[in-house]
Amino acid sequence: MAKRFTLATATALLLLTTAAIAQTEVRFTHSITGGASREALDAIIADFEAANPDIKIKEIVFDDDQYSNQGLITQLKSNEVPDIFFEWAGYPVQRDVEAGYAYDLTEAMATDGWKESFSDAVWTDGAGTMVDGKPYLVPLSLDLTNTIWYNKKIFAEHNLTPPKTWDEFVALNKTLAEAGETPIVEGNNEFWPLGNWAGHIAAMVVPADAYVAAFKQEAPFNTPEFEKALNLLVGLHEVGAFNKDMQALGADPAMATFFQEGAVMHPIGSWLVSETGNLADEGFEYSQFNTPPIDPAHPLANSVIGTITGLVVHKNAQHPAEAIKFLKFLTSEASQVKWAESGQMSPVQGVSDKAKLDEQTQAMLALMSGASGIVPPPDNKYPVPVAEAFYQAAAFAASGEKSAKDALVWLDETLAAMGKQ
Amino acid sequence: MLFAAPAMLLFATFVLLPLGASVYYAFTFWDGFSAPRWAGFANFARALTDPTFLMSFVHVVFYIAATLIFEVTFGLVMAVLLNSDRRGFSLMRGMFFAPVVLSMSAAGVLWKFVLDYRTGLLNSTLRSVGLGDWAQPWLAQPETALLFICIVSGWKYAGFYMVIFFAALRRIPRNLYEAARLDGANGVQQFTAITLPMLKQNVIVCILLAVTGGFAGFDLFFTMTNGQPFGATEVPATWIIKQAFDQNQIGYGVALTVVLTVVVSLISIAYLKISERGNVTRY
Repeated sequence: MAKRFTLATATALLLLTTAAIAQTEVRFTHSITGGASREALDAIIADFEAANPDIKIKEIVFDDDQYSNQGLITQLKSNEVPDIFFEWAGYPVQRDVEAGYAYDLTEAMATDGWKESFSDAVWTDGAGTMVDGKPYLVPLSLDLTNTIWYNKKIFAEHNLTPPKTWDEFVALNKTLAEAGETPIVEGNNEFWPLGNWAGHIAAMVVPADAYVAAFKQEAPFNTPEFEKALNLLVGLHEVGAFNKDMQALGADPAMATFFQEGAVMHPIGSWLVSETGNLADEGFEYSQFNTPPIDPAHPLANSVIGTITGLVVHKNAQHPAEAIKFLKFLTSEASQVKWAESGQMSPVQGVSDKAKLDEQTQAMLALMSGASGIVPPPDNKYPVPVAEAFYQAAAFAASGEKSAKDALVWLDETLAAMGKQ
Repeated sequence: MLFAAPAMLLFATFVLLPLGASVYYAFTFWDGFSAPRWAGFANFARALTDPTFLMSFVHVVFYIAATLIFEVTFGLVMAVLLNSDRRGFSLMRGMFFAPVVLSMSAAGVLWKFVLDYRTGLLNSTLRSVGLGDWAQPWLAQPETALLFICIVSGWKYAGFYMVIFFAALRRIPRNLYEAARLDGANGVQQFTAITLPMLKQNVIVCILLAVTGGFAGFDLFFTMTNGQPFGATEVPATWIIKQAFDQNQIGYGVALTVVLTVVVSLISIAYLKISERGNVTRY
């Protein structure tokens, strides 16, 4: 009896071991650390693993800043590269392709109507998902990288409504500041939160050619148009719009401050929605409005600032076939409905109609679809050092450390010292 | 030679090879992703005119000066005041030394909470006693951010210097003080005529430790302000990290590291010379 039991146990162990050995591990690195979206992603992965018991998805997760600064580059350079990595569309994808890290998805996209399952807009030239006409980024979300979130209760207390013009916006900030509120909370310790917004403001004021030329280091920033853009931030500073500790506060604590009613407005991206469950008390009522038009005659007066985020298969992935299989599952309609219901804007066709989207996501989708254009964040479109220097110049202006003119002089000098990027 | 081979191999792998690679990358434009491009001396030329990098050395000098006041001087004063076998003094010395065992990063995060503008303990206390106007964004103002980092550093390390001075004080023969008292010397005279001269070598060592430690300063600056506001608390190490990783300019970041290494090496050589001249114990 004992012998038979031992034999059965050994056989079972052998089978288990064989099964374990046969399982393919797909390494997937990203920066979705928590919130409703992480829960949705984990649920999708669980569904995929249940449907494909021979494939295991191993998530390697970093905090957002850590991922973009050190996490990704370290993994891409390692001997054990991730099969799939999270990336922002535009400049980062182009850089990954040029450096030989991105897998050409042309063939994969051509099968099963995968490419056609996405909204046509994600495959346009300016979308930043393709390089030389070849798709490299599998779109996962449409991100509005800046919109102005506001506390509905405090707005109502002061009889305020979302502004229709920039002047109304400044007046609104003045009213709130005079009432003893902190009108806007910015967590600008890393420069990009205000920088993204400043990039959008500049794009709404500066002629498109001059804007692009400056970021490409082909023309100076110190022009009357850029000065006008930064002066708008100076104007906000002068009416007491920003929190005093703007430069000491991180992006996450700033978001928490907004949800704790420490400030009335918070300019940040669409990802705020998925953090609501973690950070806001029940019954917290909020909404958002786009940066109001500044120069109605400007072609981008009613634009939004946004980008596509998605996933890239590593060119040297150990398991590219399994990685693509997972990405097809992740971007399938059923998975994307779950993803969208977690507060994300799905790039897959038809999902927005089928998913039970919350009020905020619906409003953002409406905002994006009604926009006169989508301005990419400077650090997604242009070399990061140039964008970062612009962000710092914007912070100088918004905090009153330098006048708009001096900030732009500083910016041009910094870029000159930096050399062509 | 054969016995030394494993150690030499490890040294070559983990010290010489990275050092050589660093020097090479310092002469390149490299974002960490794409292949490096030869840059000649461009990165070094930029480093020598980079106002933030140059200013970071000024901040280090300020930090060292503050270290000498908040850490070395205060440590000496506390060692003298607590140099007693009376009941409770041992406990007080232990309490004063306690922050030394805390990790620098943990101390930085802890004090960042204390100094938070909206919810920090300091400002909350000021508001609760009716001094709300005094509440300031301490770490967001160029005038106060560096000062508070120095104060926190003092809180963290004064106990370390106290222990060094306390050990030295215990070695001073008691009969010197007894003889001085018989000659009518008061407490101050005893301190200036006996204590200080007997501690001279320890003082020199502590100063040198403070100077070399100042250039290595990173953790507290990184966790409390990350160089903000606008570079007012930037030290060479934080600036290098930003250039290399935040801005993907690894070639330039490495060039800054080479410059920093040269500067610290020169200071170390000066330290060796001084210690040889003053017959000071080397650390």
